[in-house]
Amino acid sequence: MEDVLDESVSEEDLRKFERRYHDSLAQGTVTHVIQFEYAWCLIRSKYPTDVKRGIFLLEDLSKGENESGKRDCIYYLAIGNAKIKEYSKALGYTKVLLQVEPGNRQVQTLKHTIEKRMEREGLKGMAIIGGAALALGSLIGFGVALARK
Amino acid sequence: MDPSVLTTLKILITGESGVGKSSLLLRFTDDTFDNEQAATIGVDFKVKLINVDGNNVKLAIWDTAGQERFRTLTPSYYRNAQGAILVYDVCSRQSFSRLDAWFDELETYATNTNIVKMLIGNKIDKDRREVSREEGLKFAKKHSMLFIEASAKTKDGVQMAFEELVQKIIQTPGLWEADATSQRGLSLSDKTEAGQSWSCSGYCSMV
Repeated sequence: MEDVLDESVSEEDLRKFERRYHDSLAQGTVTHVIQFEYAWCLIRSKYPTDVKRGIFLLEDLSKGENESGKRDCIYYLAIGNAKIKEYSKALGYTKVLLQVEPGNRQVQTLKHTIEKRMEREGLKGMAIIGGAALALGSLIGFGVALARK
Repeated sequence: MDPSVLTTLKILITGESGVGKSSLLLRFTDDTFDNEQAATIGVDFKVKLINVDGNNVKLAIWDTAGQERFRTLTPSYYRNAQGAILVYDVCSRQSFSRLDAWFDELETYATNTNIVKMLIGNKIDKDRREVSREEGLKFAKKHSMLFIEASAKTKDGVQMAFEELVQKIIQTPGLWEADATSQRGLSLSDKTEAGQSWSCSGYCSMV
């Protein structure tokens, strides 16, 4: 393993948090925490369909979360998108985070890792176009809200 | 994999939010310090190659968020770890009081029974110390942990902490395996020797 994008969740953890999410879904007691934990497991899955589901759950969460919660969602949205090779989207998310915290090394490293992947896959240059076109109302709102503090 | 690398070790850093886990890691891997270090999101990861006693060892270091919201998910990172670093802030009594809970978590989730544990009291550069060195030492002794006081800001003790931890892991028989690609360069007698040099069975003070 070389970087965060290589990491994968254990089957055991994925099943555990999946069960918890579905149980609380059935009972109508899903909280942000339960949804986030399940999404975090999905994002780290080896299977793209899981990752996509994780992205869906995080996108849903990021609308309703408070600011620190949004920060966590956006970071894992960047990882999730990078894992399914949606690199420009992934870079767009790192850009949103870096607008608020320009010196955040964890995010800078992730950005660099994504760019390295793109380079390896001969996709360099596409990021700029894709990243700029990323328009996510709620997330841009998040950046503005934090920058004003 | 670099054939000259003896082994890859998994190391985990835990402790309360704001005690300086990421700063210690950053000082160790990049030799820098950021006064405005942002709170870690979930779990961060860094790789560092170091040379200990003539052996190149690759460290895969997991830096966990201390924040409450990640607590349920971080225990899985203890899996297969060979080393665990538990950090507190010598200027925060609260971070020291919470060590018991962090230690329990370590004991519960570590899958390697002989995982090497280290306690680091960080931020010794600051005034207003709330936890004495003796208290830290006592905790470490009680739980058979290596102990060191350090400052990520001034570099004090940081390099030494990681080196001692790795040294002790390498000296612990059965805790690690040579990377497949490097085994050609390692004779069986080397391994036996490493096993025999294991002498410190409990806590070791390092300063």
